[in-house]
Amino acid sequence: MITLPGEVDGRRVRVGCDVADVEDVHNSLAAFGDRYLRKVFTTGEINDCQGRNRVHRLAARFAAKEAVIKAFAEPDMSFPWREIEVTRDGPLPLLRLSGTLAESAQRQGWLSSSLSLSHADCHAMAVVLVVCSPAVDEPTFTVNGGDAGAGAR
Amino acid sequence: MQDQIRDVLATHGRMAVDPREVDEQADLYELGLTSHASVDVMLALEDAFDIEFPDEVLKKSTFESVHNIAQVIEGLVKAVA
Repeated sequence: MITLPGEVDGRRVRVGCDVADVEDVHNSLAAFGDRYLRKVFTTGEINDCQGRNRVHRLAARFAAKEAVIKAFAEPDMSFPWREIEVTRDGPLPLLRLSGTLAESAQRQGWLSSSLSLSHADCHAMAVVLVVCSPAVDEPTFTVNGGDAGAGAR
Repeated sequence: MQDQIRDVLATHGRMAVDPREVDEQADLYELGLTSHASVDVMLALEDAFDIEFPDEVLKKSTFESVHNIAQVIEGLVKAVA
């Protein structure tokens, strides 16, 4: 049995994903309105999410925030949602971190990221891939049972 | 306080079980509380206790159990008083 390393060419790779229920976002907007928006989304995100698919876009951004939280892989960290922002470069969504989460990303050695969003009628989803600096204090390859050549099972 | 927290969870938590009947240490995520539902729970708790959750307590563990929620709220209520 082998445990495959979470790195590519010596650089650690983190992946996070999440699915958000569009109706949940709709219900939160109905129940809490602007308070919900301001607690979770930045002004830029709120401005980006206008028009016919507003709720779907918000749901995709919420999924992106949760995907980023998973990529950090530190359950005891604080995660102010507004410190995770989805911006755009033309058609491409980009990830912007601020405040304590930007500091945490630096501490973890985050170098670059790629973000993908999607939605259907009922759900929205996000996947984030993060490339980090090479690990200095983590074991990168663990082999149990002396069968490394057989691949993961 | 726990009764109010359980009422908020029942209204906004969208859990698979009745939160009024779960152990105070039970893992609410295991019982169906989602990350998104925890936002609604937080906003409703702010209304119920006239508090605001600061960024530093916005972590998974805060909403992991009725006990944890109560501890955080007690601290916030004391800070306001």
